[in-house]
Amino acid sequence: MDQMNIRRASPSAIRLNKIKTYFSKPHNVILLLMGIVLTFSTVAPIIAIVEDTFKIHPGTIDAHLTGQSAGYTIVNYIDLFTSPMAKTNLWTPLLNTIWLAVGTCVVAILFGGVFAFLVTRTNLAWRKYLSSIFIFPYIMPQWTLAVVWQNMFNSNAVTGTSNGLLAATLGINMPIWWCKGLFPSLVVLGLHYAPFAYILIGGIFRNMDANLEEAATILDTPKWRIMCRITLPMVKPAILSTVLLVFGSAMGSYPVPHYLNLTTLATKYVSMNSKYTGEASILAIIMMIFGVAIMLLNQLSLQSRKSYTTVTGKSGQISKINLGKVGKYVIALILVVTTFFTSIFPIVSFAFETFLPNPGDYSFLYTGDPDNLTTKWWTTDENVTENGMYGQKGILHNETIWNAFKGTIWVSVCCALLAGTLGTLIGYAVSKNRRSKWANYVNSVAFLPYLMPSIAVGVAFFILFSSEKINLFNTYTILIIVGTIKYIPFASRSSLNSMLQLSGEIEEAAIIQNIPWVKRMTRIIIPIQKSSIISGYLLPFMTCLRELSLFMLLCVQGFILSTTLDYFDEMGLYAFSSGINLILIITILVCNTLVNKVTGASLDKGIGG
Amino acid sequence: MKRIVSLLLAASMSLALVACGGTGSTTQSGGSASAGSASSSGTQTPEALTPTQQIIQEAQGMTLEELAKKAIEESNGKMFYGVGNSSRGKSALPLFIEYLQTIDPSYTLEFEWQQPKNNKIFDQLTADSLKDTGTFAMTLIQDGNQIESKMVQTGILDTFIPKDWADANGTTAEEYEGYLPLQTLNKIFMYNNTGSKTYDNCWDFVAEGEHGLFMDIDSEIVGKNFLYMLTRDDYSAMLKEAFDALSAEEQAYFQPTIDAMASEAESLGLGENGKYALAWIKLWVGSYNAQTDDGPICNTLVDQSATDQFGLIVYSKLRSVEESASVSKNNITVAAYNDGYTGMGGFGYCHYLFVTDNSPLPWTACAFIAYMTCTADGFSAWGKDIGGYSSNPNVAAENEEIYHHQTGGMAEDGTTVEFAALNDHGYDWWVGDGKLVLEDPEYCASVSFTVGSWIEMLDKYSAG
Repeated sequence: MDQMNIRRASPSAIRLNKIKTYFSKPHNVILLLMGIVLTFSTVAPIIAIVEDTFKIHPGTIDAHLTGQSAGYTIVNYIDLFTSPMAKTNLWTPLLNTIWLAVGTCVVAILFGGVFAFLVTRTNLAWRKYLSSIFIFPYIMPQWTLAVVWQNMFNSNAVTGTSNGLLAATLGINMPIWWCKGLFPSLVVLGLHYAPFAYILIGGIFRNMDANLEEAATILDTPKWRIMCRITLPMVKPAILSTVLLVFGSAMGSYPVPHYLNLTTLATKYVSMNSKYTGEASILAIIMMIFGVAIMLLNQLSLQSRKSYTTVTGKSGQISKINLGKVGKYVIALILVVTTFFTSIFPIVSFAFETFLPNPGDYSFLYTGDPDNLTTKWWTTDENVTENGMYGQKGILHNETIWNAFKGTIWVSVCCALLAGTLGTLIGYAVSKNRRSKWANYVNSVAFLPYLMPSIAVGVAFFILFSSEKINLFNTYTILIIVGTIKYIPFASRSSLNSMLQLSGEIEEAAIIQNIPWVKRMTRIIIPIQKSSIISGYLLPFMTCLRELSLFMLLCVQGFILSTTLDYFDEMGLYAFSSGINLILIITILVCNTLVNKVTGASLDKGIGG
Repeated sequence: MKRIVSLLLAASMSLALVACGGTGSTTQSGGSASAGSASSSGTQTPEALTPTQQIIQEAQGMTLEELAKKAIEESNGKMFYGVGNSSRGKSALPLFIEYLQTIDPSYTLEFEWQQPKNNKIFDQLTADSLKDTGTFAMTLIQDGNQIESKMVQTGILDTFIPKDWADANGTTAEEYEGYLPLQTLNKIFMYNNTGSKTYDNCWDFVAEGEHGLFMDIDSEIVGKNFLYMLTRDDYSAMLKEAFDALSAEEQAYFQPTIDAMASEAESLGLGENGKYALAWIKLWVGSYNAQTDDGPICNTLVDQSATDQFGLIVYSKLRSVEESASVSKNNITVAAYNDGYTGMGGFGYCHYLFVTDNSPLPWTACAFIAYMTCTADGFSAWGKDIGGYSSNPNVAAENEEIYHHQTGGMAEDGTTVEFAALNDHGYDWWVGDGKLVLEDPEYCASVSFTVGSWIEMLDKYSAG
C-alpha cells in the first residue's frame, strides 16, 4: 500500500498563498492601491508645506531676519508667535476664523434643519418647489451672495460707498455690523451651506421611525420634550455630520470674508504671502490642524453613530405633523419669501445687473427711463473703441469667458469622473472590509482632504507642484488632481453608506454563479445603488464648477470660470460676473435635470417628496 | 481578469500623478544667474554673463528691425509664453506678430499671456526659474520692491534696454541704471463733488473723519510702496511744505501726531522731515476704507449718492464710465487740478519689462520688448488710456497725437469743457505741478523691513 506523503508546506509558501488569497479579492487590491495613492496625495503636500515653513525665501521676513537668502530656519515660527505682530497676524485672524466657522455651522443647521423638518415632517404646502429652490445658494459661488449683500445694504452714510438698493430706494441705512465683518460673513456662508444641513438632516427626518414620537404622544409627553428627547437625538448624527462638513469649509473660505472685510486665516494667508511667505505657510498648517482635529471628531461621531442605527430603519408609518389648513400655507409663504431672497433675488439681481449702464448704477429704478438700461455687456463684439466696456468684449463674444467656461467644464467633468469612480471603489472596498484597520485608514485618509480648508489644500499642492522637478502651476492637470483628491469623499461617503445597506448575499449569489467582478459591479451593485452613486459624481461636478478657494492659488485668472468671475467681481465689473453666475447656474440646472431625467437621481431627490 | 481590471482602475490615479510630473525639467538652474542681472547686461564682461544676458548684451546694440529679424529666425512657428500684471500684453502680442509679418509674411507665432492673481506672479516666476529652460520668455511686472528683492537680486530676471529707447531718452544701455519701464501709471486723489466739500491740501485726506477709498495695501503692494516713498527726504520735505500751507487750526489738529512721530522717525533712521511722512502714513492707514480694487472705488465715486467721498485710484478707471441719470464723470473732481491745491496729487508706479534669465525665446522677448517701448503701435494696447505714460518720450508724444488725452474731456467743438476730469495734464505736469510720488524700487527695498514693519504695526481702519 502506498503511503501518502504528507509534506508540510514551507512558511514562505504559506505566506505566498495568503498573499495570493488576499489579492484574489478585488476589494483588497483596491484598498491597497488606494491606501498608497491617498497616503501620497495627502501626506506629500503636508510635508511640502511643513518644509516651506522652515525654508528661507529671498526678499521676505525670514531672509531679512536671518541675513541669508537660502537655507532653513525656525525664525518664521518665532516671529509669527512672539513678534509684536502676533496679534494682528495670528491671534485675531484665528479667533475670527473660529467664530466664523462656528457661526456658519449654527446658521446652516438652524436654517437647513428647520427647513428640513418642515418639508419632511409636516404637511407644508409647496414642498416640491421649496425643496428645489432651497439648494440654489449652494449652486451659486459663495461670494456672489456676499456681493449681493453689499449691493443690497451698503450705504454712503455707513459704509462710505455709494448707496445700495435699500439705501437708494427706501433710504434705509443698515448699521455697520450688518454690512461688514463677522455677521454678514457667517450669514452668507450659513445660507450657502444650509442645503448641506437640509440634505443630511432631511434624509434622516424622512426615514425616521415615527413610532417613538407617537408613543411619546400617546403617553402625553409635551411637544417640546418630544423634540428635545426624541427627535433631536435621532438627528444628532446628521447635525454632527453637517458640523464636520461645514466647519472646515467655512474655515477655509477666502472670498466671503474677503468681500465682507473680515480678517480670517485664509485672507491673512493671502495678504501675508508676499512678505511673510513662511509665516503664511504656518497659517495654512494651523488650518490643516483643524482639519485633522475635525477628522478625529468624525471618528468619534462614527462610533457614537452606531448606537443610533437601531432607530434608523424605515418605518412603515410616517406620520406628518398637521400645520393646519391656514398654517401650512402661511409657513410655506414665509419660506417662499425667505427663499426668494436667498435664491431667486440673487438670480434676478444678476440678470438685472447685466443690463445696467455702469456697475451698480440703478438709475433705471429711480427714473423708470429705459435709456438707463443697455445690452452692451452682452452684445458688444469688439474692444477697440471706448464704449464703457473697460476694454472687454460683451459676454456673448468674450473669448476669455468662454475659454474659461470650457476649462471649467473640462476640469469639472474630469474631477467628477475620477472622484466619483475612485470614491465609489473606495466605498465598495471599505464596506467589504469594515473591520479592517487598513480599510478604516483608507476611509479616513480619503476623507481628510475634504475636512482641510480649501485654501490650505491649494497652498499645499501649489508648493508641492512648484519645484524644479514638477511644475504644474496653471495646468488643468493640477486642478484635476487637487479637485479629485478634495472631492473623493463626496463619492466615497455616499458609496460607503449605500454599500453598507446592501446585503452581502446579493454579491455572494453572483460569486457562486461565477459572475466576474466587473459584471457584478456593473450589473448588480451599481444599478441597485445608482442614485447614491450618481450623486457621488454629481456633487464633485457641481462643486468644482464654482470652486474658488481651492483653485485660486493654482492657476491664473481667466483659466477657469470661478477665477474669471472673481476677477470681474474684484474689478467691480459686476455685469460680467453676474453674467458668468447666470451661465454657471444654468449649466448646473441643465446638468442636474439631465441626470435626473436619465438616471432618476438628483441632489435633493427624495427629501422634498 | 478581475484583478487586472481592479488593478487598472485603482492605478489610474497613480498613473495620472506620475505622468503629470513628466513635463517639468529636472535640472536646477536657479542659481546660475549672476547678480549682475540686477542692472542691464551692458556693463559686464561676457564671461560673467549667462547665455540670456549675452544675447541681451548683443541685442542692446541692435535696432528694432534687426531684432525683429532675429526674432523671426528664432520663433517662427513656435509658442510664446508671457506673464504680466497687466492683461494688455495679450492685446500687444498680435500687433507684434503683425509687425513681424511685415518683414516675413510667412511668420507665425502662437502665444499665451497669463495674468496671475494675488502676487502669484513672483511665485510663478520663481518656480519657472528652477527649470533649465523656462516656460516664460518675458514678463511685464509691477512692484519695484519685490522685483528688486525677489527677482533681480536672485538673478531670475534680466533687464534689456532697447537701443531705440535708450536713444530716445538720450542715454545708452551702458550708462542707464535701473529697470526698463514700459509706462508709468498714476493713482490720483479724486473726489465726488456733488456736495460742498473741497480738498486743497494733501493733508485734507487724513483729516478727522475722512475715510478715503483705497485698495488695501496688503492686496496691492504698490500702495505700500507709495507709503514707503513718502519717507524719502524729498517727499517728506514736500509733506512738510504742504503742512506749512495749512491754516493754524488745521495744523493744530495734526501737530500732536507729528510730534509723536519724531522719535519713531529717528529710530527708523529717517531725515529731519521724516516725522511728517510718518504722521501722514499713520493717519492714512488708520483711516482709509479698504476696497478690493480700483474698479469698485470708481463705481462708487462717480455715483451722485457718494457725496463728499474721495478715493486714491488709477486715473484710467474714469475712461469707461457711462453717463446716466445718477452716474457722471462730472461728479468727479481731480484734487490736483484744483487751483491752489498743495502737496502730492497721487503716486506713480511703473510696469517694468524683463527677460527671464532662462527665457526659451530671448531674441523674441527682446524684440517684443523693443516693439512695445519704441513704437506707438506697440504701446497702443495701453496708450488709449489716460493716466498711463510711455517711458519713451517719442512714443509718448506720438501717442498724444493719436489719442489727445490732454483734451480728452473737451466737447467736439474743442473749446467747451465737457468732462474736466478727463483732461489728462500729462506726465510732465503730474511729476512737476501734480507732485506725483514716484516709486523707487531700490529705496522701497531698503526700507521694506524698517518703515514697512512699522506700517504693519499700525492700527488699520476697519469699516466692519
